[in-house]
Amino acid sequence: MKFHWFAEVTYPHLPEDFPKRFRSAWVDPPPSLMDPQKVGETYRMFIRLMEQADREGFDGLAVNEHHQTAFAMTPSPNLLAASLASNTTNAAILVIGDSLALYRPPVRVAEEMAYLDCLSGGRLIAGFVFGTPMDSTYSYGTPPIELRERFHEARELILRSWREPEPFAFNGRYTKLRYVNPWPRPIQDPPPIWVPGSGSVETWDMVIDNDYCYGHLSFSGLRSAKPLVDQYWQHVAARNGDTNPHRMAFTQICCVAETDAQAEADYTDAVRYFYTHNPTHPGFATPPGYQSLASLRHQLENGFGRGISAEDRIRAARGEMSFWEYDEKGYIIAGTPQRVAARLRELVTDLRVGQLIATLSMGDLPEETAAKNTALFGREVIPQLQDIWQEHPDHWTPAVSQARVAEHRQARVAVTGGTR
Amino acid sequence: MSRVTVESLDGATVRAWNAGEDDAPGLLYLHGFERHPGEAPFLHRLAQTRRVLAPEHPGYGESTGLEAMDHVLDLVLHYRRLVERTFTGPVDVIGHSLGGMFAAEFAAICPHLTSSLTLVSPYGLWLDDDPLPDPFVLSEKELRTAIWSDPQAAPDPETSLPLPGAADPHAKVYDRARNMGAATKFMWPIPDHGLRRRLPLIGARTLVVRGTDDQLVPQSYTEEFVRLIPDARFAAVEAAGHLPMLERPTEFGDLLEAFLD
Repeated sequence: MKFHWFAEVTYPHLPEDFPKRFRSAWVDPPPSLMDPQKVGETYRMFIRLMEQADREGFDGLAVNEHHQTAFAMTPSPNLLAASLASNTTNAAILVIGDSLALYRPPVRVAEEMAYLDCLSGGRLIAGFVFGTPMDSTYSYGTPPIELRERFHEARELILRSWREPEPFAFNGRYTKLRYVNPWPRPIQDPPPIWVPGSGSVETWDMVIDNDYCYGHLSFSGLRSAKPLVDQYWQHVAARNGDTNPHRMAFTQICCVAETDAQAEADYTDAVRYFYTHNPTHPGFATPPGYQSLASLRHQLENGFGRGISAEDRIRAARGEMSFWEYDEKGYIIAGTPQRVAARLRELVTDLRVGQLIATLSMGDLPEETAAKNTALFGREVIPQLQDIWQEHPDHWTPAVSQARVAEHRQARVAVTGGTR
Repeated sequence: MSRVTVESLDGATVRAWNAGEDDAPGLLYLHGFERHPGEAPFLHRLAQTRRVLAPEHPGYGESTGLEAMDHVLDLVLHYRRLVERTFTGPVDVIGHSLGGMFAAEFAAICPHLTSSLTLVSPYGLWLDDDPLPDPFVLSEKELRTAIWSDPQAAPDPETSLPLPGAADPHAKVYDRARNMGAATKFMWPIPDHGLRRRLPLIGARTLVVRGTDDQLVPQSYTEEFVRLIPDARFAAVEAAGHLPMLERPTEFGDLLEAFLD
C-alpha cells in the first residue's frame, strides 16, 4: 500500500460570496480576484508542505495540471515537480499528470518528464491525462471530438521517443516531426505510467492493454466512487487483466487531528471553502464530443456510477452539509489517526486501492494545520496501513523511491523507537 | 431518401434527402450545425423547380467519414465527389449556418460546379470587434432562445431525418451528442479556417440571408460576407432567427424563388 501526498493548489483568498457572485471558478473566473503576491506565497507554502511530506515518509508527492481556475493554479505540474525533484530525496514524483493533447509538439512532455526523472534520480511517475473539459476544450481550445485521438497520438510519440535508440521521423495526424530525438531521456525504462479516468470504457481498455495504473480522482469518496470502481474491476476481470491493487489510485481528503472534536475545529472552514468555492458553469462541464458515444451508451445503460444522490452532491457543493456529514458521506475522512486509519482501511480494501492519494490540504487551510495533518498522517496513519496489499508487488511506483522510502522509514523507527 | 457510398473519406456513406424531377436543375442544400432539417416544407418547395440533394454531413446522423477528415478542404472535396456523381453540371448551392461555411468553401474551390450560392446565417468568419456567441456553452434552453425569433412557436421536436436506432429509448440523446460532437470538428474553438482569404474567389452570384433576430450570427458577419464576395447581395428575413427557412418558410421560399429564377 502506497501513500502519496497531494493537494489542489487552490487560491485561498476568494471572497466569501464568490459562489453567489460568479458562475464559475473555471475558464472565466475574474482575474481581478487574484493577487499574484499571494499566489506566490501559496506556491511556496505547498513546496514546503511537500518537502515535509518527503521527510515524513510519504511514498509519493503528487502534482497535477489545470488551467484558468482558482481551484488549482498549476498550469504546468512539471514546474512544481521540478522544485520537488530538486529539494526532496526519497518520495516518488507523481505527475498526475500532463495533459498530453495540450502540448504542441508533445515531445515537450517527453523532454520535461525525462528531465524530472534524471533530476530526481529515477523517481518519476509519468501520469498522462485527457484533462477536464474546462481545461482541454474551453481553456486550451482543443475540439472535443479530436481530444482522444490527439491524446493517443501524443502518447505513442512520447513513449516511442523514450524507447527508440536512434532519432526517428514521426508523421502523425496532429504532429509531424522530421527529427525526434529528445535529450535527456528518462533513467527508468520507462517510468511507470498512470492514467486517471472518469469512467470511460476506452480508458479502461487502454489501461488494461498497456498495464498502466488507473486513477479514480474524485473528491467525493468511497460511497460515490463505489459503483464505478466496482464496474472498473469487473471489466478488468472480464478481460483477464491484472487485478493487482497497486494498479488503482484513488484520491481522498483526510483531516487528521489529536481528537475528533479538534478535527472539526481545525478543518470545518477549509473543507467548506474547498467544496463551495469551486462552482463550474454547466456550459463548461459537458462539451459535445468530449465523451465518446460508446462511453455515453455505457453510462446511460449502466447508470452514471454515482453512489451519492444528486441532491447530496448539490448540498455538498453548496456547503449545506455539516463537517461530520461530509465525513459520513465519504467526502472527507476526519478525526484521530486511529479513526482515519480504520476508515481508510475500509476504503482501500473495499475499492481495491493500492495507491492512496491523500489530500491533506484543502481550500484555505492554514499552513500550520496542513503541516500537522501531514505529520500525523505520516507518523500515525501510514504505519497502521502500510502492510495492506503487501503480498502484491508494486510495479507502478519507481524502484528507487520504494527502496529509499522504506530505508527512510526504518531509520526513523530506529531513531524514535517506533511511532510516536 | 437515398444512401450512397462516396469514394472519398475512406468510402463514406452519405444519407441524403432527395426530391424533384430528374431533368430539373440541380440544387445542393447543406444543413446547419445542429441537424439535417428532414422533411421540411422549404425543401419541398425548392424541389418544385429543382432536383434537390440534401446530404447529411459526415459524422451526423447516419452519414460517416468524419474520422477520415483533417480539414474543411477534405469536406469540400467530399461534396465535390458527391455532386459530380449525382449531377451532370453545376448546381445551385445553399448552405445554412455551419453548412454556409461549407457552401462558401465549395463555391470558392469548385467554381465549375457552382451556378449560384445562397448563404443563410453562415459561419466561417471571425471579427475581433464583434465576437461570435459560443453556441457550445449555451444550455439547451438558451440555445433555443438564441435560435428562434419566437421560441414559444418553435416546433418541438424540430424536423429531422429519422433518428438512427429510433427504437432505443436514448436515441435522441445519442443523435444530439453525435451531431454536436461532429460540429466541434469545424466550429471549435472559433469557426474560422481561413475562409476570408477564399471568399473573393467566388465567381457565382450570391445571396446572403439572415433572420433579423438571429442571436448566433450577428449582422456584422453577414455584412462581411457580402463585402468579401464579389457578386453578393443581402436579404433580411423579418421575425426570424437563426432558422429563417423553418421559422418563415413562405418569405424564405419567395426570396429563393426570386433569386434562383
